[in-house]
Amino acid sequence: MNACLRTGAARFDAGRRERDAVRHRSSAGYVAVTLVSAPVVAGTLYSLAAAFGLVGAGSTGWDASRIMRVIGSSETWQSVLWTLYTAGVATIIAVIGAIALSVVLQRSGVGRALATFPLAVPYVAAGLAALLLLGQSGFFSRVAFAAGAVHDPAGFPELVYDRPGIALILAFAWKEFPFLALTAFAVLDTRGAELADTARTLGASAAATFRRVTLPLLWRGIAPATIAGFAYLVGQYELAVLLAPSAPQPLSVITYERASDPDLSRRGEAHVLGLLAMTLCGALVVVHGRSLRNADARGGASA
Amino acid sequence: MRRMLGMAMTLAIAGLAACAGPEERVSENAASLAEMPWDSVVARARGTTVLWRMWRGDPAINAYVDGWVAPRLKEQFGVTLDAVEGQGPELVNALVTEREAGADRGAASLMWINGETFAQLRRERLLAGPWAARLPNAQYIDSASVIIARDFEQDPAGLESPWGTVQFALIYDSARTPNPPRSFDELAAWIDAHPGRFTHDQGFTGITLLKMLMYAKVGGVEQLQGGFNEATYVRGRDSVFAWVRRLAPKFWRKGETYPPDVAAMHRLFANREIDFTMSNNQNEVTDKVRRGVLPATSRALLLRDGTIANAHFLGIPFNAPNAAGAMVVADFLLSPEAQLQKARPDVWADGTVLDRAKLPATWRARFDALDADAGALPADSLRRYARPEVDPMYHERMFADWRSTIRRGTP
Repeated sequence: MNACLRTGAARFDAGRRERDAVRHRSSAGYVAVTLVSAPVVAGTLYSLAAAFGLVGAGSTGWDASRIMRVIGSSETWQSVLWTLYTAGVATIIAVIGAIALSVVLQRSGVGRALATFPLAVPYVAAGLAALLLLGQSGFFSRVAFAAGAVHDPAGFPELVYDRPGIALILAFAWKEFPFLALTAFAVLDTRGAELADTARTLGASAAATFRRVTLPLLWRGIAPATIAGFAYLVGQYELAVLLAPSAPQPLSVITYERASDPDLSRRGEAHVLGLLAMTLCGALVVVHGRSLRNADARGGASA
Repeated sequence: MRRMLGMAMTLAIAGLAACAGPEERVSENAASLAEMPWDSVVARARGTTVLWRMWRGDPAINAYVDGWVAPRLKEQFGVTLDAVEGQGPELVNALVTEREAGADRGAASLMWINGETFAQLRRERLLAGPWAARLPNAQYIDSASVIIARDFEQDPAGLESPWGTVQFALIYDSARTPNPPRSFDELAAWIDAHPGRFTHDQGFTGITLLKMLMYAKVGGVEQLQGGFNEATYVRGRDSVFAWVRRLAPKFWRKGETYPPDVAAMHRLFANREIDFTMSNNQNEVTDKVRRGVLPATSRALLLRDGTIANAHFLGIPFNAPNAAGAMVVADFLLSPEAQLQKARPDVWADGTVLDRAKLPATWRARFDALDADAGALPADSLRRYARPEVDPMYHERMFADWRSTIRRGTP
């Protein structure tokens, strides 16, 4: 193995001496792309093979029935819709929260530090906190009981294990918004104040400045982070397993359930579900890229 | 471009080589070790480390394994025990992946398994052995007990060695529910009279409850023994689901949602959202009360219809790097000393797999003294209501059918 590494290193050195600076930069990029994408590509290929029953526990040889079962099951699509719904609503709340906070706290260092606090809280801890605060026997329920508003746990609204997924959405949003807020702070710090001041100097009202300058600037800046945050929530497991109802099942939970199914022949379905989630998030990234290019094209034309 | 590709490939190959690791000798397997004199197995184990993949979710069990077993193994046999997380479904997936990657030498040497995991490991040929009968302490095993001698009706075939026994129990709060139901019929009447106060979890324990109900509905476990029978299963399932459908509107949250696992059940019970929780271990209640997780007035309860008892086992994977060490650990865990410690109510309260009648008199006396503990369910009622597990297929099917119908609220 060491010999192999040495040969590799020697070739690497020899190659490096031959190349000029420009080519060196592009080859470094090539290696970086390979290193970053190799695990994803390998994982996807393995999942594809498992989806067709070629590898993994309970594999049976070439067989598309796993894929057909997953695609043809209403349970899958209910799960997909419910997952998109919870991740989507949480992302909208997080975006609004991040934009509002970044504008309000533009000049408050302490405020900013506090706003990023949820980043440091592990997902499991956030999920347990949501249970302890929002459950029917949780903190708020006890406050309501002390105030005489409810008489037993069942009298408190169903916020956890509930079909609207309220506690789950709130926990999702709470964990996602500081990530977006950090990006928003950075956007405003680099260009926000300067552009806003210019607009005001040119006679725009505060409201118009926010609507026409700050908001588009912020949105353009945090849109990629929003896509990333949404994609992350689609696959989020810890909060989902702690707070979601038993039906519909979140995509991540149903995927794990299949991966550990007592019936070995169904474990391959977990790979189908994983590929499905990946396709959904990939599609979103593509749509986002298109809309950015379109926006650039429009911007170029008007300039 | 071609040069860049070549370079990238060289790097990739170097990376793969690094992953594969240095070439190592494949360890002697458990089956051939079982042919040797025990002394030479012990000699081979000295100075080695045993990686044990097990469920690590209970602090009482972890304390017993890390704080009591590990130091004694080190002292008596020079074996270092390294217990790490890894249970049922993940074990099977991990071993299949290791085999696909051509890893003749895996990571783990010992696994804590039973029931459907054993069935799956066997089906996929992932177990080493036979070796279990070779252990010197195997002579004390209560092999007359159907619960210990069979694992979900399967013959362990020397591929796994028994470690302990547990029995399903409902848990209630004697202060809240002074007269708890004692049978499934009484439970149905109780649920009718107390809407919103009963549920079960979506995992193994909840399905075990439904399976016990199935035993009662088909006229006893005998009807389900002798392998999986589709017609009997369908009959049993349909009457179980009819029972559930009739009562579900009076379950917690009207049966529209179920707690994810037993931990959630315990939390709901302790917070008075529900009046029953349950456990696959009849003694979990005394342990959880001592830890302050459950109210002090919590008690375990056996239904007269019978409650499922099963044994849990230790297996050695086909690619165990240290089969000799694993056998020494499994043998130590079977010793009267280790079994007694494990059975203590303030340690783990896990049932022994040993037959007291086979033990030397001094050990028999020590085991007999354990029963005097006030917190535990009396041994004679445990025995009277114990019912064995049936073919794992009943469990698989009940799991799949419950998930796809009752849980989703569809017919």
